[in-house]
Parts: sequence; C-alpha cells; structure tokens
Amino acid sequence: MKQEGLKFFSDIYLTNTALVLFFLVFLGVGFWVFRSGSKEHYKHMSQLPLKKDES
Amino acid sequence: MTASQEKVKVQYDDQIVRMFFHATLFWAFAAFTAGVWIAFELAVWQLNLNTEWLTFGRLRPLHTNAAIFAFAGNAIFAGIYHSSQRLLKTRMFSDMLSKIHFWGWQLIILAAAITLPLGFTQSKEYAELEWPIDIAVTLIWVIFAINFFGTLARRREKHMYVAIWFYIATIVTVAVLYIVNNIALPTSIAHSYPVYAGIQDALVQWWYGHNAVAFFLTTPFLGLMYYYVPKAANRPVYSYRLSIIHFWALIFIYIWAGPHHLLYTALPDWAQTLGMIFSIMLWAPSWGGMINGLLTLRGAWHLLRTDPVIKFMVAALTFYGMATFEGPLLSIKSVSALGHYTDWIVGHVHAGTLGWNGFLIFAMIYYLVPKLWKTELYSKKLATTHFWIGLLGTLLYYISMVVAGITQGGMWRAVNEQGQLVYPDFVETVTRIVPLYYVRGIGGALYLIGFLLLLYNVYKSISMATEKPTDEVAEVINTNVKSEDIGTGHRKLEGMATAFTVLTLIAILVGSVIEIIPTLSLHKYVRNDVQVEPWTPLELAGRDIYVREGCYTCHSQMIRKMPSEVLRYGPASTIEESMYNRPFQWGSKRTGPDLARVGGKYPVTWHYRHMINPREIVKDSIMPNYPWLATEKIDYYALRKKLSIMKYLGVPYDDDTVANADLVAGRQAQEIADGLIEFGAPEEVRNKEIIALISYLQALGQKGGLSEEDKEGGSE
Ligand code: HEC
Repeated sequence: MKQEGLKFFSDIYLTNTALVLFFLVFLGVGFWVFRSGSKEHYKHMSQLPLKKDES
Repeated sequence: MTASQEKVKVQYDDQIVRMFFHATLFWAFAAFTAGVWIAFELAVWQLNLNTEWLTFGRLRPLHTNAAIFAFAGNAIFAGIYHSSQRLLKTRMFSDMLSKIHFWGWQLIILAAAITLPLGFTQSKEYAELEWPIDIAVTLIWVIFAINFFGTLARRREKHMYVAIWFYIATIVTVAVLYIVNNIALPTSIAHSYPVYAGIQDALVQWWYGHNAVAFFLTTPFLGLMYYYVPKAANRPVYSYRLSIIHFWALIFIYIWAGPHHLLYTALPDWAQTLGMIFSIMLWAPSWGGMINGLLTLRGAWHLLRTDPVIKFMVAALTFYGMATFEGPLLSIKSVSALGHYTDWIVGHVHAGTLGWNGFLIFAMIYYLVPKLWKTELYSKKLATTHFWIGLLGTLLYYISMVVAGITQGGMWRAVNEQGQLVYPDFVETVTRIVPLYYVRGIGGALYLIGFLLLLYNVYKSISMATEKPTDEVAEVINTNVKSEDIGTGHRKLEGMATAFTVLTLIAILVGSVIEIIPTLSLHKYVRNDVQVEPWTPLELAGRDIYVREGCYTCHSQMIRKMPSEVLRYGPASTIEESMYNRPFQWGSKRTGPDLARVGGKYPVTWHYRHMINPREIVKDSIMPNYPWLATEKIDYYALRKKLSIMKYLGVPYDDDTVANADLVAGRQAQEIADGLIEFGAPEEVRNKEIIALISYLQALGQKGGLSEEDKEGGSE
C-alpha cells in the first residue's frame, strides 16, 4: 500500500526540482563560506562564546 | 554613526535557568523510571499490576513524551536561556514571558502525565496529546518565540553565533511541524479525529515524527554543543566554516528525509536512489558536525582523562556520530526490510537519546552547577562513576536491542525450501528475545542509577554554596545593533535576525511543501473500482478503544509487500483499506503480530478469552491482560457525534446510521454478546467494551479494499 501512495514521488519534475534546489543551496553555502576575506571574520565569530565581557 | 564605546552592566536572568534546570532533573527521573518500568513489563507483564493505567500501551507514550518534551525539553530551555543571554549580551526580553513559558510548560507536562495513563490519546507517536493540550503547547511555544526573538532584537552583539541559528531553526520548525500534524476535529473535550486519514495521516505523521527527532533532539542539541563544548574546553570551535555548512546542510536535508526514510520498502527504484542520495548526504553534515565538535578539543585531550564534563561530551558526540551513521544505513531498502518493526529501531533511537541527548545534558548539568550556584562540583569522582555506569547501561541497552531486532527480524523472514515459514508461530520469535528484554531492562536501570548519582552530586554541590544564588552581572559594550555597519554576505546575514529566520523558514518549507503537496492529492490514488465499507458504529467504538489502550505500541496493521509477510499475514495492505481510518494505525513496532487481517481468523470466544488472559490461549504470550474491558461499559452516547464528524470528514455514512448510531451499535453488540454467552461467557459481558473491541478485531481486513489481483498475493 505504501508503494501505491508513493507512486507520487515519481512526479519526476517535483523531485528533481527538489534535488537540484538542494544541490544549489549546498554549493552556494560552500562558496559563501570560503569567499576570500572571511577568515578574520570567522575567527572573530568563533571567539564569541569564550569572551567574557568585552565585545 | 559612531558606535558608542560606553560600557553598561547587564544582569542576566539566571533564576529562570535554575528553574528549568530543576525541572530537567525532576522530569528526567520520571522519564527514566517510566522507561525502566515498561522495559521490564515486556519481560514480566505482571509489572503493570493488572491496572489499566500502568499497561504498556498507555505508559509507553508517557515515557516517550516525558523523555522528549519534559527531560530534553526542559534541558534545552535551560541551555538556551543560559547561553543566549551570554551570546547576545543582554538579559532575556521579558522576565514575565520567561516565567509563563516555564510554568506553562510544566503544566502541560503534568497534563500529559495525567491524561496519557488515563488513555486520552491521538495515538500518533510523539503527538499523542489531545487537542486542548495541543493548543496549550502552541500558545506556550509562541510565548517562548516572542521572548527569544525579543531578546535577539535587543542584543548587544551584532553577530549571531552559530548556536543561535540552531535555536532559531528549532523554534521555527517545531512550530510548523507540531501545528500541521495535530490538526484535528474534536468530538469531545478529551477526544478528536485527525483531518487526515489513512496513508495521508501516515505520511504527515512520519514527516512530523522524523523531524521531531531532527528539530527537537538534534538542532537544539547541536546549538548547545557549539556553545558548551568550546566553553568547557576553553577553546574556539574547530572550524567555524564547517559549522555553517553543517547548519544549512542539516536543516535542508533533514526536513525531507522523513517519509523517504520510513518508506523505502515501497518506493520505486529510481526514487529509492534519490532517497539514498539524501540519506548519504545527511550522513555528511552529521559527521562534519561530530568531527567539528570532537576536534574542538584538539590540544585539550588531557581533559578527557580528568574532566567528567569533557568525558560526557566526547561520548555524546561519539554516540551522535554512531546514531547518524546507523540512520542512513537503516534507510536502505534491504536493511529496512529486516530492521523495520523490530527492536533494532528501538536500540537505534536509544543510542541517540541516551547516548547523545542524555550525555550532552549531563555534561551541561555538571558544567552549569558550579556556575549557577557559585560553588564547586561536590565530587568529580562520583561524576566519573556516573559516566562509566551510564556508558555501560547505554551499551547494554543498545547491543541487546540490536541483537534482539536482527534475531527476530531474521526469524520472521526465514522461509524453508518448500516455501513455508520456518517459525510460523509468532510467539516463538518473542520467547527467543525475552532474555534480551531483561538485559535491556538492566541497561536502563544502570542508566537510572547513574542519574541518581548525578542527583546526589548536584544536591551536595548546591548545599556547599556559601551564598544565595544570584544573577550574574557582566559589563558589556553598549552596542546598538541597528546603527552598525554589518558587513556583507553571510556576515550581513548573521547580523540580521529577521532575514535569517525567514531564510530558515523557507529552507524547511521548501522540503516540506515538496513532500506534503503530493500527499494532499492522495485521494486520486484510491482506486475507484475497489469497494471499501466504513466501520459500523460498534466497530468504530471498538477502534477508539484499540487506540485508547495503545495496542498500536505492540501491533502493526500494515502488511508489507514482502513474500515472508504475505505468507504470514496474507495479501499486502492496500491504500484503500485504510482510507477511512482516523487516526491511521499502521504502527511502527511488532512486539505482537500484525493485525491487519486478523478479522475472521479466530471465533469471537477466542478473542474474548485471549483479551481477558492471553496466556490461557498462547502459553508464552507477553501481551497484558485486559480484564477491565469486560467491566467498563461501551460509551454509546458519544457515537452519534463521532459518526457525524466522520461523515463531515467524508466517510460515507447514511443519515439514518448517524442519527441512530447508538441503536445500531447496540443491536450489533447484542448479537456478539449472545454468541459469547452461549459459549460460557458471563451474562455481565453485555454492552461491555470488550464486545466493541472484538467487533473491531473481527472486522479487520474484512471491509473490502482488495482487488482480485491483490487477493492473489501482492508479493513482489
Ligand atoms: C506488550 C505488547 C502488547 C500489547 C500492548 C498488546 N498486545 Fe496483542 N499480542 C502481543 C503478543 C506478544 C502477541 C502474540 C502472542 C499472543 O497471541 O498472545 C499478541 C497477540 C494478539 C492477538 C492475536 C493475533 C494473532 O494473529 O494470533 C490479538 C488479536 C491481539 N494481540 C490484540 C491486541 C489488542 C486488541 C491489544 C490492545 C487492547 C493488544 N493486543 C495489545 C503483544 C501485545
């Protein structure tokens, strides 16, 4: 019975759009994170929990 | 636009953290005790003391709800309130809202602890609470959200640390999941029917169920991990970049994994490949996160020997890695075919909850006690003992359940050369694993004992404090977030709470919509040429009793398209068969056999004797006795209302049946009772609940929904 319900997932356009969307987001995040000039910033960010009272 | 460098004093609200802290300890005890109790009930059914409130079917939802929403929930809130104020350099938005959040949540848990044993349930796993409590949960969640986002708006640190993102994702997604899955029409103050039926209900429920694990037991804990691990090791997270990828990848993939993950056995081949891609992808960010957490300890590994907090953290991360490795594995078709419905899944879940969630919470507790009460930890040695006992308990639990699952799964599937089942007697596959139920119970008991050590340690630590606990005061630069230059790209995003929240929401909605839209048109897939009759009023009453007693915690009603299943239970279940079923009762665990086609398999007297005392018929059965069903009366009066709501939802009852539902049910009950009394049942059995339940059991699989082709097999 599940298989019958799931025939829908064979809506190839919907699922493929989903897959492509996902890949794009994943790649996007990857590029974003490794853009130049971000290193200092991330260093600052990673110190946030450790700082006591100055910002 | 010069940001002022003037410093201000901020007084953090630590009182609310201490309150959630206490609540965590209290409910942890309740959740663990209930867990150990029901674990032993599966080995010794008499532990339910023959009372309805303590039977497995009613206590199991209590255990899961207590563990997830009470223990983990309160711990998450304690951690979020503690870390957010410090990361955002401001006091919580409103003390009043914090208090309402706290007391509202405790009242909800109390309501759950009372109503679940009484049998008020929607029967959807981790969403059992009835509609009035659901409304309360929604309101309190909104209050929490207002309080949290208000704090974000008033923050004095322009950039939001990654932990905050995980908290935002949690708040937004849990709201969406909870509301969508709980939409139901009330029939009374304590009962409702979901608007979804059958396969639709199943898909929505498991979209919720899987993501409850993702967004209640994973994302908030990762947020806590990204804050407390660096704190405890006193060094920054290994790679901040990795944490960003971790975040976006997780929320993007998790949200779609739910139904796929549940449904592998059934998916067409290409779709399975797609599902595999998603699952393998989920493996990557999960392990990325684990590695990121573990490597944060680089250069501090000596702490692993000396500091119980670090011990718990390292073990928690290791269990996280283990559980997230096993998850995708279990999603593979052939593995799922073996593991689904067995104790393997139970073991998998507990590696996550006991190992990952529990240990991270214990680490947080040991870390926070000295800070919140300005004291020292009473005994590191005791905490270390707790660690080893807890670890041993978790391993015993996990290993025994994996072995039990694989053993039983293998026995169910074993077919000999003549094409017959090797173990046709279901109970044979049960007695084989009962010894492992004892081992599991012992594992759980060890875990509980470890926790008692923690309680004692915390109590002693707090009594060592010399002054009254106060709120920590910190001096911070009085930055006005809005007036600052906030940079570009992701850096800008990190500064913009609203934009960030909206993006997160979009990320989870895209996945959900793509999944949910197809389910909305599921009715198209119901074959018109296959006739299905709705339940008679009496059968419906019996069905509601089945739901109330939590029979679904031990019995499935979903025969999969596998040769061994068809051999054992009959033709595979079809969509049509559950098209009127609200809520669906497919179940997720077979401690007893599948019941989808049990109707007509035995005479009514068999069921009567079996329900009163299963061991009278099946000597080694571990199913509880249900004697109260023979003394409590059928609620005929509720039936008209129930049927009219079913009719409103599209079930084809004629007006006459709805208007006379009680009378129609009474007549059917009379017939069954006559039959039973003729064979020696006492006269008192008339109009008792057991009659309704038997009518339902006898109707299972007898209502149509199979085409001629289906009847011939349905096996692949
Ligand atoms: C603790 C787990 C557990 C719970 C809860 C439970 N059962 Fe069972 N049930 C079993 C086991 C184990 C068997 C197999 C041994 C036997 O027949 O007694 C079984 C067998 C059955 C059978 C016989 C199935 C067959 O094909 O032979 C029926 C019918 C049944 N249960 C109905 C119910 C109903 C109705 C409820 C809820 C009121 C319920 N069970 C609750 C464990 C459970």
